[in-house]
Amino acid sequence: MKNSYQPKIAVIKKIKIQTPEVKLFTLQFKNKEDQKNFEFIPGQFIEVGLPSFSEAPFAVCSNPNDSDKNFQICVRIAGQLTKKIHQLKINDQLTVRGPFGNGFPNNLTGNILLIGGGLGLVPLRPLILANQNNRNFKMQIFYGACEAKDLLFQNEYKIWQKSANLALTLDKQCPNWKGNVGLITTLFDKIKVDSSAIAILCGPPVMYKFVIQKLKQAGLDDANIFLSLERRMHCGIGVCQHCSVGSKYACKHGPIFSYQELKNIPGAL
Amino acid sequence: MDKKQLQKFIQWLQEKNYIVIGPTKEDGQILIKTISESSQLDFSGQLPLYSFKKYLVPSREILFKYKKDDFKADLTAFKQALIGVSIFDLKAILLYNQVFEKDPYYQARLNNTLIIGQSQIPQFQNLSFKVWEDKYEEDILEHLQFDIFLGQAKEKKSSEFKIFTGSKKGQQILNDFAKQSGWKSDFEHVEYAGPIKEEGANPEMMKIKEKMPGSLETDIWQNLDQRCIECGKCTIVCPTCFCFSLTDQPCLNKDEGMRKRCWDSCFYSEFSEITGGHKFLKNTAERIYNWYYHKFVRIPDEYNFPGCVGCGRCSMVCPAGIKIHEVLESIKTK
Ligand code: SF4
Ligand code: SF4
Ligand code: FES
Repeated sequence: MKNSYQPKIAVIKKIKIQTPEVKLFTLQFKNKEDQKNFEFIPGQFIEVGLPSFSEAPFAVCSNPNDSDKNFQICVRIAGQLTKKIHQLKINDQLTVRGPFGNGFPNNLTGNILLIGGGLGLVPLRPLILANQNNRNFKMQIFYGACEAKDLLFQNEYKIWQKSANLALTLDKQCPNWKGNVGLITTLFDKIKVDSSAIAILCGPPVMYKFVIQKLKQAGLDDANIFLSLERRMHCGIGVCQHCSVGSKYACKHGPIFSYQELKNIPGAL
Repeated sequence: MDKKQLQKFIQWLQEKNYIVIGPTKEDGQILIKTISESSQLDFSGQLPLYSFKKYLVPSREILFKYKKDDFKADLTAFKQALIGVSIFDLKAILLYNQVFEKDPYYQARLNNTLIIGQSQIPQFQNLSFKVWEDKYEEDILEHLQFDIFLGQAKEKKSSEFKIFTGSKKGQQILNDFAKQSGWKSDFEHVEYAGPIKEEGANPEMMKIKEKMPGSLETDIWQNLDQRCIECGKCTIVCPTCFCFSLTDQPCLNKDEGMRKRCWDSCFYSEFSEITGGHKFLKNTAERIYNWYYHKFVRIPDEYNFPGCVGCGRCSMVCPAGIKIHEVLESIKTK
């Protein structure tokens, strides 16, 4: 019987500082078979841990089609485990379980609007990277961060912009910042959103209510609005109950849900 | 099988290296414990305060022992015979069997466990509360998973047990016992017919399930919010509460430790807390609603049977005097 709790060992291959609090880790499984068998869908997550520091869920944020099959996670210092992970160096090891969850819908075509707030850009990145040459995809990205120094993946924007339209906004005016200032919802006043678009939202819980309002005003269908839900997670396989959302589990049936599925569940958003 | 033969059978199990666990009376209380002698067993049919839960779903268990990055699963399980398992607790086992269907730790334990149910006919007539209207009929047994079942006729006050088997393992054990002890093998086999009765889902459950979401607009949960002190006692005694957390426990030796699975309680405020401090179950009202929701909506949605077996233990231990049958009544009538 498969043991879903059995962690696999991954080796840190690269570390890239993203912001003062966020590092991007490139990982490779220690075991060649594990590496060969690892497949994920954008939007899925893995449980990453360290012995004696337990585990926590992280979205896999690299391109699922990368030929070397290495994979990436973005880690922000927020607690004991993440503080410890930030101290690790190249060739140090982590434990990995997964991938878990459903991931983003796989048959996306047409106008796609990705809306990321803060660290919410992280789970969206594999979707952006995997669809750079997708002709059925017209991608608009809204991304909001607190300050200029918090903007993730800054060195990649130029490449992204070859295939997507990227709109940035900062909560606060920062020196040398010529872009939009204001909450992410203010981008809706500048850029018209097509009512037939499919929107994918990822961000802090407070963002969802206001963004959904804007999307509804733009005429989007509830079934075409997708959200990634953040929850406390332990097992990752729909047993421990920590991540329940109504009768569903964020770890198993999610973390991606359509607004249609969630709108009648009290406390889901 | 009479009492004497039953005692012999229990002894025989112990000789076969089974740890025998069952209800025993101590200071006027019925407790479930490991027994050394069969005479310690109490078959009065009184409901033990604690269920058999921890023998199948331990309050803490070691999933892995690790040394550096080497995580070794610990799947050892010892042979145990759970005897005198009431119908309430058998129904809870039915739930664990579904929830932990793909869990190698649970399955290892279950494989090494002999489940011996027992009930008076009708069971627990003296209980002052009722959650489900359930008459004892032999056909109840069809919808339970056990190895052996001891049926006791109440009227006769007799010491005769009518023996049923519910699994190959149960049949095998009884046949072996008969061969070796001279007991005149006499039992009826009940074929497990799945957890749900032929008539379909329990209509009472469906009614509560339908009324749950609407109950949010009533004052039921605010009222409970004022009373419940979030001690978590109800979740500990409840035979169907199984939620857990995973934690690491470092050992004194450098780089060594254990990854453990421990009971958790959804009444504790950290249960839904994520890094940064946000809680998805924000207050007592939301947490207590979630507890009821799990039992009366989420489990029915997942498995089509109720997540409450109606034992009433939660009501017995609640320091705030919250009675589940009263809460359900108000959900149904509002
Ligand atoms: S009556 Fe209470 S303790 Fe018994 S199963 Fe139902 S909720 Fe659990
Ligand atoms: S036993 Fe009573 S007071 Fe304690 S958590 Fe349960 S309902 Fe609340
Ligand atoms: S993380 Fe355990 S149920 Fe989702």
